Amino acid sequence: MSASEVTVTGGHAGALEESPLGIPSHKLAMWLFIMADGATFGAILFAYGFLRVGTPDWTKPFALWPSIANGCIMTVILLSSSLTMLGAGSAARAGHAARCLRWIGATMLLGALFAVLHLREWFAMIHEGWGLKHNPLGGSTLVGATFFGITGLHLLHVVSGVIAIGVVALRFRRGRLGAAHIETVGLYWHFVDLVWMFVFPLVYLLNAR
Amino acid sequence: MDARLAPNMKTYVVVWVGMMFLVAVEVLATYARPSVGTLLATLLALALLEAGVALLYFMHLRYERRALLWWTVPLVLFALVMLDQVWPDAVRLASLRLH
Repeated sequence: MSASEVTVTGGHAGALEESPLGIPSHKLAMWLFIMADGATFGAILFAYGFLRVGTPDWTKPFALWPSIANGCIMTVILLSSSLTMLGAGSAARAGHAARCLRWIGATMLLGALFAVLHLREWFAMIHEGWGLKHNPLGGSTLVGATFFGITGLHLLHVVSGVIAIGVVALRFRRGRLGAAHIETVGLYWHFVDLVWMFVFPLVYLLNAR
Repeated sequence: MDARLAPNMKTYVVVWVGMMFLVAVEVLATYARPSVGTLLATLLALALLEAGVALLYFMHLRYERRALLWWTVPLVLFALVMLDQVWPDAVRLASLRLH
Protein backbone atom coordinates (compact mmCIF):
# COMPACT_ATOMS: atom_id res chain seq x y z
CA MET A 1 0.00 0.00 0.00
CA SER A 2 1.44 3.37 -1.01
CA ALA A 3 1.55 6.40 1.25
CA SER A 4 -1.03 8.21 -0.91
CA GLU A 5 -3.40 5.23 -0.62
CA VAL A 6 -3.17 5.40 3.16
CA THR A 7 -3.97 9.13 3.11
CA VAL A 8 -6.88 8.81 0.68
CA THR A 9 -8.56 6.04 2.67
CA GLY A 10 -8.41 8.03 5.87
CA GLY A 11 -5.20 6.77 7.46
CA HIS A 12 -6.00 3.20 8.51
CA ALA A 13 -9.11 2.21 6.59
CA GLY A 14 -7.19 0.38 3.84
CA ALA A 15 -5.17 -1.60 6.39
CA LEU A 16 -8.18 -2.77 8.41
CA GLU A 17 -9.93 -6.08 7.86
CA GLU A 18 -13.40 -5.76 6.35
CA SER A 19 -16.36 -6.14 8.72
CA PRO A 20 -17.71 -9.73 8.54
CA LEU A 21 -21.24 -8.29 8.55
CA GLY A 22 -20.45 -5.84 5.74
CA ILE A 23 -22.04 -2.84 7.44
CA PRO A 24 -20.58 0.42 8.80
CA SER A 25 -20.07 0.82 12.57
CA HIS A 26 -23.02 3.22 13.06
CA LYS A 27 -25.34 0.68 11.48
CA LEU A 28 -23.91 -2.13 13.63
CA ALA A 29 -24.50 0.05 16.72
CA MET A 30 -28.10 0.61 15.62
CA TRP A 31 -28.65 -3.14 15.15
CA LEU A 32 -27.25 -3.78 18.64
CA PHE A 33 -29.60 -1.15 20.06
CA ILE A 34 -32.56 -2.63 18.18
CA MET A 35 -31.76 -6.13 19.50
CA ALA A 36 -31.62 -4.84 23.09
CA ASP A 37 -34.74 -2.73 22.69
CA GLY A 38 -36.53 -5.62 21.00
CA ALA A 39 -35.83 -7.78 24.06
CA THR A 40 -37.11 -4.95 26.31
CA PHE A 41 -40.40 -4.69 24.44
CA GLY A 42 -40.54 -8.49 24.28
CA ALA A 43 -40.22 -8.69 28.07
CA ILE A 44 -42.97 -6.14 28.59
CA LEU A 45 -45.32 -7.74 26.08
CA PHE A 46 -44.73 -11.23 27.49
CA ALA A 47 -45.49 -9.94 30.99
CA TYR A 48 -48.61 -8.24 29.65
CA GLY A 49 -49.67 -11.44 27.84
CA PHE A 50 -49.46 -13.55 30.99
CA LEU A 51 -51.30 -10.91 33.04
CA ARG A 52 -53.97 -10.51 30.36
CA VAL A 53 -54.73 -14.22 30.16
CA GLY A 54 -54.23 -14.92 33.90
CA THR A 55 -56.31 -12.10 35.40
CA PRO A 56 -59.93 -13.23 35.92
CA ASP A 57 -61.54 -9.76 36.25
CA TRP A 58 -59.81 -8.24 33.22
CA THR A 59 -62.03 -5.62 31.56
CA LYS A 60 -62.08 -4.68 27.87
CA PRO A 61 -61.95 -0.90 27.55
CA PHE A 62 -61.93 -0.42 23.76
CA ALA A 63 -65.11 0.04 21.72
CA LEU A 64 -64.93 -0.13 17.91
CA TRP A 65 -65.61 3.62 17.86
CA PRO A 66 -63.57 5.63 18.69
CA SER A 67 -60.74 3.51 20.19
CA ILE A 68 -60.24 0.67 17.67
CA ALA A 69 -60.94 2.99 14.72
CA ASN A 70 -58.40 5.45 16.13
CA GLY A 71 -55.90 2.60 16.57
CA CYS A 72 -56.42 1.55 12.93
CA ILE A 73 -55.81 5.12 11.74
CA MET A 74 -52.66 5.33 13.88
CA THR A 75 -51.46 2.02 12.38
CA VAL A 76 -52.00 3.30 8.83
CA ILE A 77 -50.14 6.52 9.71
CA LEU A 78 -47.15 4.70 11.21
CA LEU A 79 -46.94 2.18 8.36
CA SER A 80 -47.12 5.05 5.85
CA SER A 81 -44.35 6.87 7.70
CA SER A 82 -42.14 3.80 7.20
CA LEU A 83 -42.86 4.04 3.48
CA THR A 84 -41.88 7.74 3.38
CA MET A 85 -38.70 6.92 5.34
CA LEU A 86 -37.84 4.30 2.72
CA GLY A 87 -38.44 6.99 0.07
CA ALA A 88 -35.95 9.22 1.89
CA GLY A 89 -33.35 6.42 1.89
CA SER A 90 -33.87 5.71 -1.81
CA ALA A 91 -33.59 9.42 -2.69
CA ALA A 92 -30.44 9.80 -0.58
CA ARG A 93 -28.81 6.78 -2.24
CA ALA A 94 -29.66 8.23 -5.66
CA GLY A 95 -28.06 11.55 -4.64
CA HIS A 96 -31.31 13.57 -4.62
CA ALA A 97 -30.83 15.53 -1.41
CA ALA A 98 -33.85 17.83 -1.81
CA ARG A 99 -36.19 14.91 -2.52
CA CYS A 100 -34.73 13.03 0.45
CA LEU A 101 -35.44 15.98 2.75
CA ARG A 102 -39.04 16.20 1.50
CA TRP A 103 -39.57 12.50 2.28
CA ILE A 104 -38.02 13.02 5.70
CA GLY A 105 -40.34 15.99 6.32
CA ALA A 106 -43.32 13.76 5.48
CA THR A 107 -42.02 11.07 7.86
CA MET A 108 -41.64 13.55 10.71
CA LEU A 109 -45.10 14.96 10.04
CA LEU A 110 -46.68 11.50 10.13
CA GLY A 111 -44.73 10.63 13.28
CA ALA A 112 -45.93 13.81 14.98
CA LEU A 113 -49.52 13.11 13.85
CA PHE A 114 -49.29 9.62 15.35
CA ALA A 115 -48.11 11.11 18.66
CA VAL A 116 -50.93 13.70 18.67
CA LEU A 117 -53.60 11.04 18.01
CA HIS A 118 -52.10 8.86 20.73
CA LEU A 119 -52.03 11.67 23.28
CA ARG A 120 -55.61 12.64 22.39
CA GLU A 121 -56.67 9.07 23.12
CA TRP A 122 -54.73 9.07 26.39
CA PHE A 123 -56.40 12.28 27.58
CA ALA A 124 -59.84 10.96 26.62
CA MET A 125 -59.19 7.79 28.65
CA ILE A 126 -57.84 9.73 31.62
CA HIS A 127 -60.94 11.93 31.44
CA GLU A 128 -63.08 8.76 31.61
CA GLY A 129 -61.28 7.78 34.81
CA TRP A 130 -58.58 5.41 33.49
CA GLY A 131 -55.17 5.58 35.17
CA LEU A 132 -52.21 3.51 36.30
CA LYS A 133 -54.20 2.49 39.39
CA HIS A 134 -57.75 3.24 38.27
CA ASN A 135 -60.28 1.26 36.29
CA PRO A 136 -63.65 3.06 35.86
CA LEU A 137 -65.28 -0.23 34.75
CA GLY A 138 -64.57 -1.77 38.15
CA GLY A 139 -62.27 -4.64 37.12
CA SER A 140 -58.54 -5.15 37.52
CA THR A 141 -56.43 -1.97 37.68
CA LEU A 142 -53.76 -3.83 35.69
CA VAL A 143 -55.66 -2.90 32.50
CA GLY A 144 -54.77 0.79 32.81
CA ALA A 145 -51.29 0.10 34.18
CA THR A 146 -50.32 -2.17 31.27
CA PHE A 147 -52.00 0.05 28.65
CA PHE A 148 -50.32 3.28 29.74
CA GLY A 149 -47.01 1.51 30.45
CA ILE A 150 -46.70 -0.22 27.07
CA THR A 151 -48.12 2.54 24.88
CA GLY A 152 -46.18 5.16 26.87
CA LEU A 153 -42.88 3.40 26.20
CA HIS A 154 -43.76 3.11 22.52
CA LEU A 155 -44.84 6.76 22.35
CA LEU A 156 -41.51 7.76 23.90
CA HIS A 157 -39.78 5.88 21.07
CA VAL A 158 -41.92 7.65 18.45
CA VAL A 159 -41.18 11.12 19.84
CA SER A 160 -37.46 10.28 20.18
CA GLY A 161 -37.49 8.99 16.61
CA VAL A 162 -39.02 12.19 15.22
CA ILE A 163 -36.33 14.22 17.01
CA ALA A 164 -33.51 11.88 15.89
CA ILE A 165 -34.69 11.94 12.27
CA GLY A 166 -34.82 15.77 12.43
CA VAL A 167 -31.26 15.98 13.77
CA VAL A 168 -29.91 13.58 11.12
CA ALA A 169 -31.81 15.47 8.39
CA LEU A 170 -30.28 18.79 9.48
CA ARG A 171 -26.77 17.34 9.39
CA PHE A 172 -27.52 15.63 6.06
CA ARG A 173 -28.62 18.98 4.59
CA ARG A 174 -25.35 20.55 5.72
CA GLY A 175 -23.44 17.73 4.05
CA ARG A 176 -22.02 16.35 7.30
CA LEU A 177 -23.89 13.04 7.08
CA GLY A 178 -24.60 10.81 4.08
CA ALA A 179 -27.11 8.34 2.69
CA ALA A 180 -25.84 5.56 5.00
CA HIS A 181 -26.80 7.64 8.04
CA ILE A 182 -30.29 8.23 6.64
CA GLU A 183 -30.64 4.47 6.28
CA THR A 184 -29.40 3.90 9.83
CA VAL A 185 -31.89 6.31 11.42
CA GLY A 186 -34.49 4.72 9.12
CA LEU A 187 -33.71 1.35 10.74
CA TYR A 188 -34.73 2.81 14.09
CA TRP A 189 -37.95 4.20 12.62
CA HIS A 190 -38.87 0.85 11.04
CA PHE A 191 -38.20 -0.82 14.38
CA VAL A 192 -40.67 1.56 16.06
CA ASP A 193 -43.17 0.56 13.37
CA LEU A 194 -42.37 -3.13 13.92
CA VAL A 195 -43.05 -2.84 17.67
CA TRP A 196 -46.42 -1.22 16.94
CA MET A 197 -47.26 -4.30 14.82
CA PHE A 198 -47.33 -6.16 18.17
CA VAL A 199 -48.71 -3.39 20.41
CA PHE A 200 -51.80 -2.72 18.27
CA PRO A 201 -53.13 -6.31 18.12
CA LEU A 202 -52.09 -7.34 21.63
CA VAL A 203 -53.04 -4.21 23.57
CA TYR A 204 -55.92 -2.84 21.47
CA LEU A 205 -57.53 -5.68 19.51
CA LEU A 206 -57.25 -8.22 22.33
CA ASN A 207 -59.18 -5.76 24.51
CA ALA A 208 -61.87 -4.83 22.00
CA ARG A 209 -65.43 -4.85 23.29
CA MET B 1 -26.41 -2.58 2.01
CA ASP B 2 -25.05 -2.54 -1.51
CA ALA B 3 -26.91 0.27 -3.36
CA ARG B 4 -27.17 -1.96 -6.46
CA LEU B 5 -29.17 -4.53 -4.46
CA ALA B 6 -31.52 -1.98 -2.87
CA PRO B 7 -35.17 -2.53 -3.74
CA ASN B 8 -37.10 0.19 -5.57
CA MET B 9 -40.16 2.11 -4.35
CA LYS B 10 -42.49 -0.23 -6.24
CA THR B 11 -41.33 -3.14 -4.08
CA TYR B 12 -41.77 -1.06 -0.93
CA VAL B 13 -45.32 -0.05 -1.93
CA VAL B 14 -46.27 -3.69 -2.62
CA VAL B 15 -44.94 -4.69 0.84
CA TRP B 16 -46.77 -1.72 2.43
CA VAL B 17 -50.07 -2.82 0.82
CA GLY B 18 -49.45 -6.37 2.04
CA MET B 19 -48.93 -5.16 5.59
CA MET B 20 -52.11 -3.06 5.43
CA PHE B 21 -53.94 -6.20 4.33
CA LEU B 22 -52.56 -8.13 7.32
CA VAL B 23 -53.73 -5.37 9.69
CA ALA B 24 -57.21 -5.56 8.13
CA VAL B 25 -57.21 -9.36 8.66
CA GLU B 26 -56.29 -8.80 12.33
CA VAL B 27 -59.25 -6.44 12.83
CA LEU B 28 -61.65 -8.80 11.04
CA ALA B 29 -60.36 -11.76 13.09
CA THR B 30 -60.98 -9.79 16.29
CA TYR B 31 -64.63 -9.11 15.42
CA ALA B 32 -65.23 -12.73 14.42
CA ARG B 33 -65.30 -13.15 18.26
CA PRO B 34 -63.17 -16.28 18.75
CA SER B 35 -62.05 -17.38 22.24
CA VAL B 36 -59.27 -15.33 23.89
CA GLY B 37 -56.72 -18.11 23.34
CA THR B 38 -57.56 -18.51 19.65
CA LEU B 39 -57.56 -14.74 19.10
CA LEU B 40 -54.22 -14.36 20.89
CA ALA B 41 -52.65 -17.12 18.76
CA THR B 42 -54.09 -15.64 15.54
CA LEU B 43 -52.97 -12.09 16.33
CA LEU B 44 -49.49 -13.24 17.38
CA ALA B 45 -49.05 -15.28 14.19
CA LEU B 46 -50.11 -12.32 12.02
CA ALA B 47 -47.91 -9.90 14.00
CA LEU B 48 -44.91 -12.23 13.60
CA LEU B 49 -45.58 -12.39 9.86
CA GLU B 50 -45.71 -8.58 9.66
CA ALA B 51 -42.52 -8.30 11.73
CA GLY B 52 -40.74 -10.75 9.44
CA VAL B 53 -41.78 -8.80 6.34
CA ALA B 54 -40.71 -5.51 7.97
CA LEU B 55 -37.30 -6.98 8.92
CA LEU B 56 -36.65 -8.45 5.48
CA TYR B 57 -37.87 -5.60 3.27
CA PHE B 58 -38.15 -2.35 5.28
CA MET B 59 -35.04 -3.02 7.38
CA HIS B 60 -33.29 -4.62 4.39
CA LEU B 61 -32.15 -7.85 6.07
CA ARG B 62 -33.00 -9.63 2.81
CA TYR B 63 -30.48 -7.49 0.96
CA GLU B 64 -27.69 -7.50 3.56
CA ARG B 65 -25.15 -10.27 4.03
CA ARG B 66 -26.72 -13.44 5.41
CA ALA B 67 -24.35 -13.20 8.39
CA LEU B 68 -26.23 -10.14 9.68
CA LEU B 69 -29.56 -12.01 9.62
CA TRP B 70 -28.11 -15.10 11.31
CA TRP B 71 -26.37 -12.94 13.89
CA THR B 72 -29.36 -10.80 14.90
CA VAL B 73 -32.58 -12.80 14.59
CA PRO B 74 -31.65 -16.06 16.43
CA LEU B 75 -30.14 -14.11 19.35
CA VAL B 76 -33.28 -12.01 19.85
CA LEU B 77 -35.54 -15.04 19.43
CA PHE B 78 -33.47 -16.93 22.01
CA ALA B 79 -33.82 -14.03 24.49
CA LEU B 80 -37.59 -13.89 23.86
CA VAL B 81 -38.02 -17.65 24.33
CA MET B 82 -36.09 -17.45 27.61
CA LEU B 83 -38.37 -14.60 28.74
CA ASP B 84 -41.36 -16.76 27.90
CA GLN B 85 -39.95 -19.43 30.22
CA VAL B 86 -39.23 -17.02 33.08
CA TRP B 87 -42.35 -14.85 33.20
CA PRO B 88 -44.84 -17.54 34.29
CA ASP B 89 -42.76 -17.93 37.46
CA ALA B 90 -43.05 -14.20 38.11
CA VAL B 91 -46.83 -14.36 37.74
CA ARG B 92 -47.01 -17.44 39.96
CA LEU B 93 -44.98 -15.67 42.67
CA ALA B 94 -47.40 -12.74 42.56
CA SER B 95 -50.30 -15.18 43.02
CA LEU B 96 -48.59 -16.84 45.97
CA ARG B 97 -48.17 -13.49 47.65
CA LEU B 98 -51.87 -12.70 47.26
CA HIS B 99 -53.08 -15.89 48.96
